[in-house]
Order: sequence, then C-alpha cells, then structure tokens
Amino acid sequence: MSEIPVTGVYIHHCINGSVDSVEIAEITSYASGLPGVVILGNSAVLPPVDKLYFTRLIREKRIKRLILAGDKPGEVKPFFADVMVRAGLNQHDLIVTSFHEFDLRRKTDTGLAKRLLNSAIMGTSVEQAGHFGEGGFIEDTLVIGGGIAGIQASLEIANSNHKVYLLERTGTIGGHMAMFDKTFPTLDCAACILTPKMVEIGQHPNIRLMTLCEVLNVTGNPGNFEVKILQKARRVDLSTCIGCGICSEKCPGKAASEFDNKTTLRKSIYIPFPQAVPNKYLIDPESCIYLKDGKCGTCVKVCPAGAVHLDETDKEITIRVGNIVVATGFQPFDARKDQRFGYGKFPNVVTSLEFERLVNASGPTGGNITLRTTDKKGNRIFTAEGKTPGSVALIHCIGSRDVNYHKYCSKVCCMYSLKLAHLIREKLPTAEISEYYIDIRAFGKGYEEFYERIREEGIHFIRGKTAKIEEKDGMLMLRSEDLINKKLVEQTVDMVILAVGLEPRDDARKLADMLGIPTDEEGWFTEGDYHIDQTGTIRGGIAVAGTCQGPRDIPDSVAQASAAAASVIRNILNRKIRLTARDQLVKMDKK
Amino acid sequence: MSKRVDPDFKRRLFKYGGSKEWNECFHCGNCTAVCPLTEQGFLFPRKSIRDIQMGLKDNLLSYTDPWLCYYCGECSETCPRNANPGELMMTLRRYLTSMYDITGLSRRFYTSKWWEFGYIAIIFVMIILAFLIFLPLRPDAAAMINDSGGVMINNLVAGMSPETFVRIIELGDWTMAVIVASLLIMNILHMFKVTILNDSSTKVPFVSYFSEFRQLFLHFLTQAKFSKCEDKKYWVGHFLLMTGYSIMFALIVAVLPKFQIEDIVPWYNWQRLLGYYATIGILFFLVNVAIGRIRKIDIKLRFSHSTDWLFIIMLGLTTISGILVHIFRITGLPVLTYYSYVAHMAILVPMVLVEVPFSKWSHLAYRPFAIYFTRLKKAAVARQFEPELAPTL
Repeated sequence: MSEIPVTGVYIHHCINGSVDSVEIAEITSYASGLPGVVILGNSAVLPPVDKLYFTRLIREKRIKRLILAGDKPGEVKPFFADVMVRAGLNQHDLIVTSFHEFDLRRKTDTGLAKRLLNSAIMGTSVEQAGHFGEGGFIEDTLVIGGGIAGIQASLEIANSNHKVYLLERTGTIGGHMAMFDKTFPTLDCAACILTPKMVEIGQHPNIRLMTLCEVLNVTGNPGNFEVKILQKARRVDLSTCIGCGICSEKCPGKAASEFDNKTTLRKSIYIPFPQAVPNKYLIDPESCIYLKDGKCGTCVKVCPAGAVHLDETDKEITIRVGNIVVATGFQPFDARKDQRFGYGKFPNVVTSLEFERLVNASGPTGGNITLRTTDKKGNRIFTAEGKTPGSVALIHCIGSRDVNYHKYCSKVCCMYSLKLAHLIREKLPTAEISEYYIDIRAFGKGYEEFYERIREEGIHFIRGKTAKIEEKDGMLMLRSEDLINKKLVEQTVDMVILAVGLEPRDDARKLADMLGIPTDEEGWFTEGDYHIDQTGTIRGGIAVAGTCQGPRDIPDSVAQASAAAASVIRNILNRKIRLTARDQLVKMDKK
Repeated sequence: MSKRVDPDFKRRLFKYGGSKEWNECFHCGNCTAVCPLTEQGFLFPRKSIRDIQMGLKDNLLSYTDPWLCYYCGECSETCPRNANPGELMMTLRRYLTSMYDITGLSRRFYTSKWWEFGYIAIIFVMIILAFLIFLPLRPDAAAMINDSGGVMINNLVAGMSPETFVRIIELGDWTMAVIVASLLIMNILHMFKVTILNDSSTKVPFVSYFSEFRQLFLHFLTQAKFSKCEDKKYWVGHFLLMTGYSIMFALIVAVLPKFQIEDIVPWYNWQRLLGYYATIGILFFLVNVAIGRIRKIDIKLRFSHSTDWLFIIMLGLTTISGILVHIFRITGLPVLTYYSYVAHMAILVPMVLVEVPFSKWSHLAYRPFAIYFTRLKKAAVARQFEPELAPTL
C-alpha cells in the first residue's frame, strides 16, 4: 500500500449555551491520534475567517481531503470549499459530517461522535457498516400511551395477529379524546367513536393492557429491546373486582377529579369515568385516608369480592419487545403561566378542556353550562345548580403563537373554539358569544365550511388578541383591540374560555433520552423525515404517532398511528429491522 | 387627499432607535389593548406600526399618539412577537422631534454624532473663551473672602463691579431662555400645522381651542397621564427631576440677583433649601437612570440611543460642576470657585441649547401640547359623527 492520503479535520461546533454537549476536546485528541489525520482547528479556538491561513496549512501539510465535523458543519462548508479550490484541490473531496444529524448532543454521546468521525475519516458511510439488529427478533410490540393514537396503533397491530403491550400511565385508556364532548367538524360525539375502540382493546386477546405503568429504562437494539417498566400499585385486584361501586359510595376521602379537569370532586377509590377501560376501581394514594393516616379501610370491609388490597406496592416489570410505538400525546398549556388572564384567580375563567367536561352530558353538570359555585367545604366546583352565563367569550392563542411561551401554532385551538362556540349556542340560544382571535386557521377538509357555518350562528368574531381580563362588579372585563373596526373593545362577560395550546409533556425529553430519539427545541419528538417518514425516528424499530410528535387533530393522529402500525407490521413480517445510522454508531461503540 | 407611500421610510427610521424588532409585528392588537393609556380613536402603538410598515409618513406626522405613550414597557413585555412596540414609540418621538423642528438641526443631531458633538463643542469653547477674554479672574481673587469665610462670588472678575457681573450673567441667561423659547414656539406652531391643520379628517370646533386650554397647564405641571402607568416609580423619579430642574431654571433666570449673592446664608434660607432640593431630585433621577441603562434592568432602559447617554452625561456634569461651585464657595476657595463656575456655565449652556429645542427635552413642550391637540381632535371627531368619543373633563 502506498502512502495514506492525509486528511484534514476541522470541527465547527457551536455549543449554543448548552452545558451538556459532546466533549470537543476529547474528540479532537482522538482524531489527531488516527493515522494520516491533521487537525486544522476548532471553531471555538480558531474561527474560520482567514482563508489564506487555511490554504497555506493545507498546502504545507499536503492534505488531500478535508472533513468538516461538529454540530452544524454545513455553516462553514462554503468557506472551506473556497479554501480547497484555492489550495488546488477538488472541492468535492470536502466531506461534511454532522453530529446533529445523528442526535449526538449530550456528553454521553461523545463516544458515538468519535465513531462517526472515524468512519468519515475511513471514507465509509455509517449505513454500510452493518445491517440488522442482533440477539434474535421478538415479534411483540410495545405501545407507549393509551390515547387515541396508541389505541389505534395497538388495534392495527393486534388485528394483524401480533401481540401488543399497551402501556398507560393513568388508570384508564382513552387519553384526552375521552374528555372531549364533540369532535370537529362533523360534531360527532367523541365518546361514541372512542369507547367502542377502548372496549375492543380491553377484550382483545392479543393486547396486554398495562395501566398505571411508566417506562423506566430501555436497552437493547432494534428487534430486541428490553424495557423496564414501573407498575404503580392500583390496590384493587383487576381480576376479582366486579366494578359494583360500593367501595366508592362508602369512601370518605375526596379529591379533584383528573378526568373532569378538576371541575368536580371524586372519591379516593374511584373509576375515572363510567366507560373506563379497564372498568375497575383504583385508589388514589394522595387522598386515601388509610394511606395517609393508617386508619380507615372502609373499602376493604365493604368490598363483596375482596378485591381491595390497600398494602399493595409498586413493582418493576421487565418485558422484551421488538418494536416500540411512542404515542405519549400532549399536555394542555398551563394558563396560570400567563397571569394577565387571571386563570386560577377568577373562578369563571376556564380552560377549553375544563369547558369540554362542563358541556358534556356525562360531565359534572350533566351538560348544563353553569358558572362556578363554592361548595360547603370551600371547593370551587361546577354543579348543575349553578347560574347560567348570559355571555361567554372565547380567547384564542393562549400559550401559542407567543414568543414568551410557545411560538408555534397549536393547530387545533381555532377549530375546537369554533366547535365550543357552536355547543354553547346549541345549549344557550340567547347567550352572547364572542371569539377573540388573531387569525382563524381552518385548514382541513370541511373546516372552512364549518367556520362559515358557525359565523352564521350569530357569534361575534373580533379580530384582536385579548390583552387582559379584570374583574368588575362580579363580571369579567376583557380589553382588546378590534383590528377590523379600529376600535378599543372593553366587553364584560360572565364566563371566559381560554383556548389553551398544546405543549409537549414535561417528561417527554426524559423518555426521548431513554429511547435514544431526539426531540426538537420545544420537546416534540423528531420524526425520521418531515415529508417522507412522518412516523419513523432516527432509531430503527421505534415509531412515533399522534401529538407527541407535534400538535395535530384527531384524524391526523389516527392516520399517523395506522401508519406507525404499518411500519411495525412490516418489521414483524420481515422478522428483522434495518438499522439506522444511529443504531450503527451505538453498535460500533459497544464493540 | 391622496396619500403618498414612502417605501424607504422604514429604513430611515432605524437611525432613530436602538431596536429594529418592531418589524416583526403580526398585528394581533395585544399592545394596544394592554396599554393603560390608549383611548378610543388613539390606538397606539399598533396603528403607528401599521403606518410605518406601509410607508405612510404623512399619516404618522399627523398623529399625536407617540406623545401619549409614557413607555411603561407593558406592551413590549407581553408582545407575542418580541417586537418591542414601546421602543418604537420612543423611536417615533425622536423622529417626530426632528420633524417638528423647522431648522433641520434636530434631524442632523439625531442621525449624526458629528453634528451633535460639534455643535456642543463649539458652544463649549465659545463660553470658555467669552469668560477668559471678557470676564477674566482678577489677580487678587484669593482675597475675596467675606466675613463668614465664604467666597464673594460676584467679586471674582477683574475690573467689574459685582452688580455689573450679575447683570451680565443674568442678561446671558435671559438671552438663552429667549432663544430656546422662540425655537420651541416655532416648532410647536409647526407641530400644530402637521397634526391639526394638515389632518384633513379633523375640523376642530373653534370653542374647543379655549375650553381645552387648561389641560395644557395641568399636564405640563403634573404629567398626570404618566402616573397612570402601572409602575409608579418612574413617574416619581420624573417628577423629582422635573420640579428640581424647573426650580433651578427659575433660580438662575428669574431671580439670579437674589440667588447668586455675596453672603453665605445659613442652610435653612430659601435659596439654599431650594437649591438642595433641586440637586437631590436631579441626582436621584440621574443615578437611577444611569444604573438602569447600564444594567438594562427594565425593558424601557434596554435600548439606549446615543442621545440618551449624551443627556445623562451632560446633565450629570452640569450638576457635579454646580455642586463643586457650591462647595468651593462655602469653604472659601476663590480661584477654584471661579474655574468651576466657568466649567458649569460651559456645560450648562450647550446642554440647554441642544436638549431643549432640538433633542430629548423638547418633550417638555411637545407632550402637553400633544395632549391638548389630542383633545382638540377628539372634540372634532365628537362634533362630526361620534358623540361617545367626546372628551370627558
């Protein structure tokens, strides 16, 4: 073999304020130890400004090809392309290898970054180094999240006769969709669409439903993942509980109902909602008197089936799966963060999700729209006896399209606000309803028509973001600018509904780190490719579905869940999973 | 009347302010609604942003809106696009000051540091030369100590009786005041022309000119609108500065012979008490604002134009030199008293001549007049078609 061609390496890495970044110094010293490698510099020490300097360096060191590494090396590519030409080299011998592309962002990824740089120096692309996962292929699939996306994906996979573990954090599946009253734009009853699917999950022989479970750790490679799961104590035996409800009747403990978004109270031993799956009771350890004080145990005494076990503890379960579908969904923006709207301070400023429960026939008021009342113990809840509001205002874009909170558009708020306006009009035909919006984004099939329909129902549309809400004589006063009529609007209403945006779950990044998939700067999981791989990720065998990947409505979530299921079934039919570049790096690093 | 679009207007405006972000605005109307000072028909800051983006310069000139804003910063803090509408209002005030000014000097001062510093330097040198040539220090100045051990300040100049010296200084002060006042009056007439006469949409009822006139004095003296902003500390600071400076101005112009006297009066005499109040008021404001601008503690102090700093520095130097004159005088150091007196005058005169008619301080006239004109416009609108917009007294 003749002389090895000398390779120059330049690392362009902007840390962007992140403390936990890959160790550039370590990578540099590693690369300089490789045969035939010359380190040209590192943008932190030597910013690329002097073309003449680099040209001279390339000539002196007899460099034949150049590798730009770092988190955004593309930024300096034009600069070095020019340097190459000046040095008399072919500018196509310039190789750009980005750490960012493989999600090598944390300190723990330093080893992987070295591997990546090594394969670039060797002149092999990472994908060609190997093909499939090791350790045998497991046909079972894990679906994380029991919302509509998780349900859809599980059913698709289970119906193709493969086994599915469906993991759910709360006591029932259904997710946010189960809380909704109607869906837009068809105004179907959300529960009527969802509950048959939930029942199907509960009865499916191929689906193992695991409620009150959280992922603790994920190891292994595509086709053979080992997942450690924390199963929280339900304290009610699923197999023996007959769901009679006597325990709940007698239980003295009370807490705000999560399912009803804290608009009403539930017992400490409860069933989240009548159609819950599994339709069994569970104990809330926060409010249970026995668990707090050690004496009570009424539920144990009254249970005819002997299903209550108050001393049950959390346990860890380990399962092995071949594919993972992530469908963890979203959380609504916490309107308390924006103090101007007085959410939490004024009783009749409610979020859209609270209002969904209020307007729902199975909600706290039986579907009557009422103002908040205070019960004997001082809990501010909604009851059917409350006063009926004469005027309601809906405010769009709370927490969305605002650089102070989330700069993205949450995509669904305009449409659900229109839907809520319609539901109010239906129940309160004489009420004054106003929508304060920045832009109405009715973007889908039948959506614009829906908007037209709502406009004809006598609802005021005021273009202008509401800036603040104040209390005035027991009413809520909104202050806004009407941009169309060029006026300042000060309207007093009985009730204000805040159209809160969607945001990633607080622990989404934690899960992303466990799975080794990236999130974007907001915290949404990053898809494989924005246009042509909406369900895949940079890891093989891990798919994303639903709102955990970005704000979207129910039809889109369902479509994406089916697509994710298709990719899982493809992997199962192939009985092997093609490794992605990142999987390769992980594999190479282990050797 | 047809309206002319000036596509380059936006870019020209960049020179007047520290922030360019207002171009991010997507017109949600948050700023207008969050502002405690907006009124029906005067929808600032958003309306102004619209006109800038569309290049409607003539529209903007006819607005009094920027002067109705006291920059509490609420709009900038809550803006969903970080467009800094509050800073835009500040930028527009600078721009309007330069547009009202008929001499054209204000525009040069705001857009070119050379012009501004050159102008100040020329006046500075002129004052010093005038003192050294016409009012030199007398050779036996060191002996000019009175019975109580203080300096006889009016006896420090060679070949001149104390009465003549005071009269010369008084004459100079009055000349300065007259120059500044006449410039301001001309500018306000020009402002009247562009905001009321050129605005074809308003026909002011004649009687309103008189019925609204008292508003002018009310707002000139109290800045009542400023006190409506949520954060009251700026209003307090401004009030201290305003009263402090007004007192000082009255002392050195109207009653100079009674203020600049030979004897050192006890500390509780009115001259000294007023002087101390003014000094503390001005210093309190200056120190707070300077620290705020350096540390950028508040949104309204985050973007500093060069003229903001020039104002702080010149007023600071004036105050310090004034304090030095006072200290040297009461401790009996005649020579130092003379030189600090010269320095005081050499800083004070250019400051007044640049700030009051052409720069930051012109707002002392523009703000109350803008409120007056705003009420005239409202009266006009009320008479024309919308009675509910009539001003409430």
